[in-house]
Amino acid sequence: MRASLAGFLAFVFCLGWLSAHPPRGGTSIDNAMDTQLPLKTFRGMKAEAKGCIECHAKKNPGIVADWKMSRHAHAGVSCIDCHAVSKDSPMLTRDGHEGSKVPISVLVSTNTCAKCHEKEVTEFRHSGHVRGAVQVWAKANMRDLMVMVEGRNHPDLKYAPAATGCQQCHGSIIKLDKNRRPTPETWPTYGIGTAFPDGSVGNCASCHSAHKFSLEEARKPAACASCHLGPDHPDIEIYNNSMHGHVFNAEGAKWNFDAAPGTWKVPDFRAPTCATCHMSGNTKSMVTHNVSRRLKWNLFMPLSKLRTGGYETASDDFKYENKITIGNPLAGNPKGPEAARAEMKAGCIDCHNKQHIDNFFVMADKNIMLYNEYWKEAVKMKDELAKKHLLGKDMWSDDFQNTMYHMWHHEGRRMRQGGIMAAPDYSHWHGVFEVQQDIRKLRKIYAKRLKTNKIED
Amino acid sequence: MGFLRVLQEKRFFLFWLFCGGCVLGVVLTVVTVQAVEWTGDDKFCGMCHIMTPEVDSYHLDKHGGHNHVGMKAECVDCHLPHDNIIHYFVEKTLLGMEDVYGNTMKNPRKFDWEMNRREARDYVFDSGCLRCHTNLKDATQSNMKAFLPHRDYFAKLTKKHCVECHLDEVGHKNLGIHLRKFLKQDYKPTVRALISTSHN
Repeated sequence: MRASLAGFLAFVFCLGWLSAHPPRGGTSIDNAMDTQLPLKTFRGMKAEAKGCIECHAKKNPGIVADWKMSRHAHAGVSCIDCHAVSKDSPMLTRDGHEGSKVPISVLVSTNTCAKCHEKEVTEFRHSGHVRGAVQVWAKANMRDLMVMVEGRNHPDLKYAPAATGCQQCHGSIIKLDKNRRPTPETWPTYGIGTAFPDGSVGNCASCHSAHKFSLEEARKPAACASCHLGPDHPDIEIYNNSMHGHVFNAEGAKWNFDAAPGTWKVPDFRAPTCATCHMSGNTKSMVTHNVSRRLKWNLFMPLSKLRTGGYETASDDFKYENKITIGNPLAGNPKGPEAARAEMKAGCIDCHNKQHIDNFFVMADKNIMLYNEYWKEAVKMKDELAKKHLLGKDMWSDDFQNTMYHMWHHEGRRMRQGGIMAAPDYSHWHGVFEVQQDIRKLRKIYAKRLKTNKIED
Repeated sequence: MGFLRVLQEKRFFLFWLFCGGCVLGVVLTVVTVQAVEWTGDDKFCGMCHIMTPEVDSYHLDKHGGHNHVGMKAECVDCHLPHDNIIHYFVEKTLLGMEDVYGNTMKNPRKFDWEMNRREARDYVFDSGCLRCHTNLKDATQSNMKAFLPHRDYFAKLTKKHCVECHLDEVGHKNLGIHLRKFLKQDYKPTVRALISTSHN
C-alpha cells in the first residue's frame, strides 16, 4: 500500500516537473519542426549578410527555411545580394530597416536576377509573359472593366478587383508610398509581368517561387497552373485532359525533375509537362525562357493570326521609353511562324514519329482556322448592327456583345487551345459545341434587331 | 645625278634639319603626353560646373580614393578605352568635343541625367576596368557567387559590359542624391519613379 502510494506520488511529481520544465531545443516531442534553435551561419559571408539570415531566422523562419533549401544558399548568395540597394535607388526603403544599417528594398526586380542569370532574363523579356501587367493598364477597355465596371468606381474600393484578381497573375505596375514601400493596391503580387520602379519588367518568382527559387518546381505543371486555368484559358485542365497529363498524373511523382539546367530530357520523364514543350531544349531549339518562341498562332485574340511579330516589345518600351504599351501580341519566333512550329515539333520527335506529329498539327491548325470562320461571321453581324445603331452602350448588359465576348474570350479560346494541346473535351464540349451555340444565338438576336429596328429588353 | 649632288651640297643643312625635327618631335610628344595627363583627372574634368555632382560622388566612392589604401582611379581610367592608343586618342577627341559642345551650345542642366546613367555602357569601357582588375578572371573562380556571371563574361556567353551589372554600384557613390542636390528644380527623377507615384 505504502509502496504504491510512494510510486503514485513519484509519478505525480514527475508530471509536475515535466510540465514546469518542457523539453527545449532540437527534439521537442510535440513540435516536429523546432524553430526555437537560433540559426548560426558559418560560411565566408560578410557580417551584415550573416546578420540578415540569423535575425530573419527568428522573425520569418519560413523565409530563411526556404532559402536554406535553395541553390542560392549553396552558392553563398544570401539576402543582401538581392535585397540590398544603393542609397540613390528609386526603390530604397526610406523608413529604415530595423536592426541593420544595410539599405534595402523589399522589391527585387529582374534587373537583379539578370546580374547572374542574364540569358534567362533576356529571353524572358522577349516573351509575351512580360506584357502581362503593362498591357492591362494600357488598354482603356481593361481599365474600364477593372475599375469602373467591377470596381463600381467606388472611391475607396475600386482597385480591389485588380489587386486581388487581375494583378495576381498579370502583375502590377508597382507604386511606392512616401517611404518608398510598395502600396497595397500594387503589392504583393506574384504576377509574371510585374513592372518595377527601376524600369525592369517581369517576375522570376512567378514560376520559381520565393525564396527557394526551385528549378524542379518550374518544370512541373503546377508552376503554370496557378494562372493558366479557368473558363478563359483552362490550360491545366487541357493538360489533364490530354494523354500527356494522363501519364504525368499517373506516375509523374516518380520522375526526375532535378536534372541540371539544359539536360532535362527523356528518360527523366515519360510525358512532357508545360515546360518540356514550351521551354526545354531540343534538336532545333536551345532551352529558352521565351515561351512565345515556339508558338505559330496567337490563340487568345478574337481572331487567330500567325505570330509574325518577332520579339515582344513591352519590356523595352517601359524600360527605355517610360511608356506603358499594349506590347506586341503577335510576338513569337523572330524567324517567323513556320520556324516556331518547326521548333515545337522538334520536341515531339523524342516520343512520336513524323507522321503522327504532322497529322496532329494539320487538324489542330484546321480547328483554329474553323474558329476564325465563326468569328468573322460574328464580326460581320456586329458591324452591321453598329452601322444601324443597334448595339447597346454597355456591352456587359447587351446580349449580343456579351455573347460575342464569351464566344472568343471563353469558348473560342477553349476550342483553339484544347485542339492544339490535344484535349478533346475542351476542344469539343467546352469549345466548338459552345461556339456553334453562340453563333446561333447571335444570328437570332441579329435578325430580331434588324426586323424590329430596336435593341430588345 | 642632280639630286645626289644637291644632297651632297646641302648635307650640313639636312643634318641639322633632321636633328631639329627629332628634337621637335620629342618636345611635341612630351607636350602631348603631358596634355593628355593633365586633362584626365577630376581636377580638369571638374572644371566644368555641371560635373560637380559627378566629382562629389566620385570623391565619396571607393574608386575616387575613399578606400583604406587611398588608391584612386582617374576619370579617364574608366571613361576612355584602354585597348589601344589610337582608339584611346580617337575616343578622347570625340568625347572631348561632345563635352565642349554640350557645355557651350546646349544647357547641360536640362539633360536627363538619370536616363543617361542607364546608358553607362556607352561611356564606361571594359578595357578600362580590366586594366586595373587584371586578375579578375582568376579571382572570381573560387568565389561561388561571382563565379557564374564572370565565367559567362570571360567565356563570351554574354554581351553585357561590366558596368551593366555593376550599374549604380561603381565610381560615383549615390550619384542620384548629388544630382538632385545640384540640379535642384532641373533634376529629372528616374521617370519610373513618376509612373509609380501617379495614378493609372
